[in-house]
Amino acid sequence: MKRFQIRTSLLVALGAALASLTILVWRYGADTEVSSEKIVVATVVGLTIGALYSLSATGLVVVYTTTGTFNFAHGGIGVFSAFVYWEIVENRTGPELPQWLGLLLVVLVVAPALGVAIDVILMRRLRDAPLVVQLMVTVGLMVFLLTLTGQIWQADKIRGVSFFWEGQGFSIGEQKVAWHRFANLVIAAIIAVFLRILLFRTRMGVAMRAVVDNRDLTALNGARPGALSAFAWALGSSLAALAGILVAPEVEFNPTNLNSLMLIVAISAAAFGQIRSLPLTVVGGLLIGLLESYNREWIDLGADFPFAGRAVAPIVLFLVVLALPQARLSVGRVSNNLRPIERTTHVWEGAVGAVFIIFMGWAIARGALHFLVWDPGEWSSVSLNKGISAMVLALIALSLVPLTGWAGQVNFAPLAFAGFGAFLFLRLGLWFGVPDTGGTGNLVWLPVIGLLCAPLGALLAVFAARLSGLYLALLSLAFALITSNVLFPHPQVFPRVHTFPSPYLDVGLFRIDFDSRFSFFMLLMTMFALGMFCLVVLRRSRYGRRWVAMQDSQAAAATVGVNVIWTKIVVYATSSAMAGMAGVLWATSKSTVDFRDFDLLNGLTIVLLMAAAGMSFPVAGLFLSFQFVFEGLAERLEQTGNVGFLVWLLKDFLAKFGPGMLAIGMVVNQRGAIFEMGKGFAPLLPWRDDARAELAAERATKREAEIGGLGLTEPFTSEAVVGLDSALGIVDDVTPGAGYRHGVARPMESTHD
Amino acid sequence: MTTPLLEMRNIRAGYGIIDVLHGVDLVLEPGSVLALLGPNGAGKSTTLAVASGQIQPSGGQLLIAGREVNGAKPDALARAGVCLVPEGRGVFPNLTVAENIRMMTFSGTSYGEVADKAYELFPRLGERRRQLAGTLSGGEQQMLAMARAMATDPALLMLDELSMGLAPIIVEELYSQVAKLAEGGLSILIVEQFAQTVLGVADRAAIMLHGRITRTGPPSEIAEELTAAYLGIDSGGH
Repeated sequence: MKRFQIRTSLLVALGAALASLTILVWRYGADTEVSSEKIVVATVVGLTIGALYSLSATGLVVVYTTTGTFNFAHGGIGVFSAFVYWEIVENRTGPELPQWLGLLLVVLVVAPALGVAIDVILMRRLRDAPLVVQLMVTVGLMVFLLTLTGQIWQADKIRGVSFFWEGQGFSIGEQKVAWHRFANLVIAAIIAVFLRILLFRTRMGVAMRAVVDNRDLTALNGARPGALSAFAWALGSSLAALAGILVAPEVEFNPTNLNSLMLIVAISAAAFGQIRSLPLTVVGGLLIGLLESYNREWIDLGADFPFAGRAVAPIVLFLVVLALPQARLSVGRVSNNLRPIERTTHVWEGAVGAVFIIFMGWAIARGALHFLVWDPGEWSSVSLNKGISAMVLALIALSLVPLTGWAGQVNFAPLAFAGFGAFLFLRLGLWFGVPDTGGTGNLVWLPVIGLLCAPLGALLAVFAARLSGLYLALLSLAFALITSNVLFPHPQVFPRVHTFPSPYLDVGLFRIDFDSRFSFFMLLMTMFALGMFCLVVLRRSRYGRRWVAMQDSQAAAATVGVNVIWTKIVVYATSSAMAGMAGVLWATSKSTVDFRDFDLLNGLTIVLLMAAAGMSFPVAGLFLSFQFVFEGLAERLEQTGNVGFLVWLLKDFLAKFGPGMLAIGMVVNQRGAIFEMGKGFAPLLPWRDDARAELAAERATKREAEIGGLGLTEPFTSEAVVGLDSALGIVDDVTPGAGYRHGVARPMESTHD
Repeated sequence: MTTPLLEMRNIRAGYGIIDVLHGVDLVLEPGSVLALLGPNGAGKSTTLAVASGQIQPSGGQLLIAGREVNGAKPDALARAGVCLVPEGRGVFPNLTVAENIRMMTFSGTSYGEVADKAYELFPRLGERRRQLAGTLSGGEQQMLAMARAMATDPALLMLDELSMGLAPIIVEELYSQVAKLAEGGLSILIVEQFAQTVLGVADRAAIMLHGRITRTGPPSEIAEELTAAYLGIDSGGH
């Protein structure tokens, strides 16, 4: 049955890929002739590149099957290792090393050390963490490694990695094959066979897989789970490094580029093998290599789709995830989530909070609270611009609260919805120009665009209906990549030249104009406060309860009569409408809209910061402003001449590494910063007797534990009482008075009968 | 007097700040079978978790063959010959039967030896060696878990709720294997909630209530007091 299912999914995915390919060739076939020679060339190129993809993907699969962690930092590790390799081999820092020695040094020493460090410092603490936290920490690690690589090896210099056996090759008939390409195939084959033998034929490999199944039982069998996990991470990192170094000469050598190639393709190929099967993963890698090669050779979508080639892997990923057989509803298992058991905010509290936020926004921008922001006087236009950018991101982040925070649907594509909203707004403005706002920007359109974006979310929900957890995250990842590589770069969507200015600060609502930066900033503040208030109301509604119930257990929700599919559709539509409206405001806030604004990494940063702040709290959206706050503070310091360490810390360190580090910080604080802050803040509010009671109870428990440590648990003997009294330095009625001296535990007759 | 194979002296242990064991004293003589009985939540499984190194005691002494092993890791104890078959099915569901058997070789027995013995004792496992353990029936899974106990020649065997969720006929079959092991001189500590099957195999029995051993004695005596113990009446006597 199992084998049959694997074949069905394979056939569906293959069939869909072939069908789309046929349509593409028929519709957009380039003029290039189809000769047997060209087919051979394209196939050889496709297979050798595909071999590298397979290599990268097997590393991802090895880490997943042996640690249970889906490692989004896989590409980041490969990129970092490839740059280290460049440094020692190409840049010749230190003694001159031949290529092969540099390769061995990085693959067998540097990368494994990095892998072990990741396991020991981070992953061990995440063993029982919910999936969202595990995913966010590895995504955070990816962002961190990419930022680190970008900071060490600044982008101002052009670098290149040369091929092994540069320029040498051999011939098959008329066709020349370079040695390095042939080597890719051989290396990928050797590694695949080696891994297959290691994982299935050796005791160590079997034990590595056993750790994922049941860690405690592995130890009871006598294997060392800690050492096995560390080895798995070392092995995975080595494979990432090897793939990174071999892919590097094939592409433009910069961190983002290399990462997207390594990670996205690896994820797609791994998904093809259901993140379990090594042979299918290798096939997946080769297939993607071939599809890309044939696409380059024979399909020409024209200048309108300049990056469509990059979408081959995401499209494969999308199709494969949809065709996966096992990604069904898991029945009878309460998901292991750490969603804080929060007290549901009252509507009046939401209203007070909203008014407070608007007031604070006004006070800060008007300079009334300059001691808080180190910006004396009214905000300059630079500061206002930063505030505007921050609030726009906060509004987009708000859309994640119901979807991911409450309903537990991991979504890496908030910017796809936002981009769609921005596009609709600009288009509608052109098509049905509204005269009194300069032809475009009447915000009356805002709810209309929200309504138009909702079906897009509903559509994704239909696809996502049967998925959960990791596969849902991968589906949204593929969706984000397809929109940002295929749809948004089209000139009819977001033009690449400055011919299509967005109505910057030229928006109005009926007869109110928001024509100054300050009024626009206040508009955004009000929008955010309003959104937050609506979410508070929504959380108390029947839908809010259903979403939370769905996250706790879909099966349980279904048994009490919740229509899970419909509930999912509603939450996706709601989130998509919110993000779409936020996208409109984003487009409005910028002088020109660029498709690059909506790329995956920007979207991931929003998701990461929200996760670190606490996805289920609407107010967490304000966290998105932290980068701008740091930058603003640094600029202020620079203006006042106070340059130095603090500026570097704020601008070059915290603002840049912040998102990654905050997400990594979830290792320690899995519930998010807002939860902890709220716990400290709530007891101070006069009407929160419950919070004070909770705090007191928590302190009492701690006290109890201390007393337990002093030995005052059963049997309740007088010795123990005397011992405790002397430790605490007290004399009370329980302690007999006569002969009792402070601090001396006098042996006594047992009172226990 | 011989050194006990397993001895617990005033062991205290728990989960986080919750104490479960409040001073457990327990002795298992070499070559004997001790049945540890008691109602739900008495602390029986926690006792085994301490004895196998999965939970570190917060107080008291854990001795194996006379040596104090407080703080030893479960894998070290396992390699030293302490074998715990945990509650539920002690198998790796996503590994095949053969791979599960390969996992049993960490304490020093060779794969061939373990496999031969396991398939000889439980021929059904041999027929399903390529099947994923998670797809076996409950009884077959428990056989596979027991195979580790039977085929790896441990010094101390601990069985946690062997009969849980199994048909009576399978329970009988499993306990007949346990009896064979006991005849061979293996020291066994058995934890069970339902006592009748296990009292037939045990040399001695102990009742556990509220995190303490409240009574130890020959199985025939203990059997009489069990009902009172299960109803929560402490029959006194230490």
